[in-house]
Amino acid sequence: MAAAGSLAGAEPTLTAQQRRLNLDSFEFVWTTVRDQYWDPKLGGLNWQAVREEFLPAMQNAETMSQARQVLERMIGRLGQSHFAIIPGFVYEDLGAKRDGEEGGAGVTGIDTRVIGGRILVTQVDDGSPAAAQGVRPGWIIVRIEGREMAPAIAKVAEAYQKSTQRELMLHHAMQARMSGRVGGTRRIEFLDGADKVVEKNIRLMMPPGELAIFGLLPPTPVWFHARKLPSGIQYVAFNLFLDPARLMTAFGDAVASTGENSGFIIDLRGNPGGLGIMATGMAGWFIDKPNQQLGTMQTRQSTLKFIVNPRLPAYRGPVAMLVDGTSASTSEIFAGGLQALGRARIFGSQTAGAALPSLIDQLPNGDAFQHANANYISEGGRTLEGAGVTPDLEVIPTREALLAGRDPVLDAAVKWIGAQK
Amino acid sequence: MRKFLATVTTLSTLAALPWLTLAADEALPKGEVILDQFVEATGGKAAYEKIHSEVATGSFELTGKGIRGSVTSFKAAPNKIYLTIDLAGIGKMEDGSNGEIAWNRSALQGPRIKEGDERAAALREATFNEPLHWRKLYKSVETVGIEKVDDKDCYKVVLTPLEGKAQTQFFDRQSHLLVKFAMTLSSPMGEVAVESRLGDYRKDGDLLTPHRLEQSAMGQQFVITIDTVKWNEEIPKSRFDLPADVAALLPKAATK
Repeated sequence: MAAAGSLAGAEPTLTAQQRRLNLDSFEFVWTTVRDQYWDPKLGGLNWQAVREEFLPAMQNAETMSQARQVLERMIGRLGQSHFAIIPGFVYEDLGAKRDGEEGGAGVTGIDTRVIGGRILVTQVDDGSPAAAQGVRPGWIIVRIEGREMAPAIAKVAEAYQKSTQRELMLHHAMQARMSGRVGGTRRIEFLDGADKVVEKNIRLMMPPGELAIFGLLPPTPVWFHARKLPSGIQYVAFNLFLDPARLMTAFGDAVASTGENSGFIIDLRGNPGGLGIMATGMAGWFIDKPNQQLGTMQTRQSTLKFIVNPRLPAYRGPVAMLVDGTSASTSEIFAGGLQALGRARIFGSQTAGAALPSLIDQLPNGDAFQHANANYISEGGRTLEGAGVTPDLEVIPTREALLAGRDPVLDAAVKWIGAQK
Repeated sequence: MRKFLATVTTLSTLAALPWLTLAADEALPKGEVILDQFVEATGGKAAYEKIHSEVATGSFELTGKGIRGSVTSFKAAPNKIYLTIDLAGIGKMEDGSNGEIAWNRSALQGPRIKEGDERAAALREATFNEPLHWRKLYKSVETVGIEKVDDKDCYKVVLTPLEGKAQTQFFDRQSHLLVKFAMTLSSPMGEVAVESRLGDYRKDGDLLTPHRLEQSAMGQQFVITIDTVKWNEEIPKSRFDLPADVAALLPKAATK
């Protein structure tokens, strides 16, 4: 993560209260690492000595940027890139604090990615208000509710410049801007395919999917799509690894209906994860040997292998998985594991490197502290946390392709499967 | 009751040792005596020998997580067991043994056959009226001290099975009831230290049985509450058959 201090211009000197809150924040971060970091030995680091080294610098910090830099340098000693201090103003752009209607369940039906510094519409849900208004993939979002998006995106992009979670955070920021009360509207200004400015008032709809209830989580919409591509390849996509009673059955049905050599594509783009154990369960339909594993999770209490139980007869044909920077957590465990086992070929772009649930705690000084309390090693020894899954074939969507109604990542997977027959 | 442990461990993703209060000059009863006292305290050998099957129903809750469901178990002499836990939002998890093959399956993870220490533990736990048969299941039982469990003095007994890792059981000195046990569960996912508390003993027919089990593993805790226990119910033999997807995992010769 970039030094947040570079985002600030001429900064005011801290007040006495702000200094106290910064010291409280220092204490919070130091204690959290001491008590929750997955390796109780902290990789051999003398954490007490680290505290004594950095505490004077925090006491002497004159500005918020200096205070952040102290915390960043301190957690930087862990050598874990997914530990981060998020400036308060960026935290708000990620949707953690929302004003007015923002933050409601309502969605536009538009999905986006920030590519080449532009916010590209990558997908418009069929039947959504956005589709009804003629919004098309390849359009560029310029303003939302009159607010220019480029500066907000630039702030998040700079804060996460060196993080594998950059695309994920940009996606969160955009989704937060486009969400709101169901039935409300979002005024969005686009550049259409001819670069003409188009403004649309888009009604916010209930997110697609069936509401799934899992423990204390709020009811969460979960959708699962399966369809046969013209080439006979089975394509599946789902928005979360949740609602296992329904999704595992649907996934198994999709596998069962796939001819042995037809090809199977799992689209994990935009899937932020969910129940990790579902990845092993789904992998079982593609693995026919016992004692294979997707990876290993290490916490302070235990080391758990993500073992795959074969579901015989397993599907033996080619498997392609589509990923990008918004594929996180269980998506990465699934894709990284099947890739390492040589059972799937991965298409798209680097995943988020957030294999484990990353906790974000707000600090007393208004900033936020992002940290994880476990480590995950994919089969083959690759650390996913802070690194992500590297595709076998990198494919980045272009505006031109999207405007032409094509999906270059899917096209690449279809082409590869065709070559396997 | 202990049978629930192995199954639920697949759900758990994660104890402070009570202090040793053994008085230096106090003579400890032998492990054999303590285990036999447990049989007497829960109804006696004759009462156990009258039963040949058990059907129990109850509920499951993952503490503090809002995950709840139902539990049903079927056991039959001499060594058959089938148990299912059906959790809202997750689906069904099944666990069983036909006396030779121990297995589990779930919508989440698919079917699996237990091997090694895990299989040995499952077959031990499938032994009907296990308290009567500990001499056949363990090569040694040793009383190693007295510890407090919930303010009660308990004998601490280490049981070493013929195959697999030792487990530690705690018996109330006054009531002679088993109130806690600690063990390491093995599975392909790894080894997990588990601590369990038994309580709410009630008379079901001629036997006193625990109706509450609290288990901690990997930082998670769950509670199983047993509502009904029925002895000598007729259980169809097919109840203990291997499900087709489990049988598919066996070498062909084993399924004949």
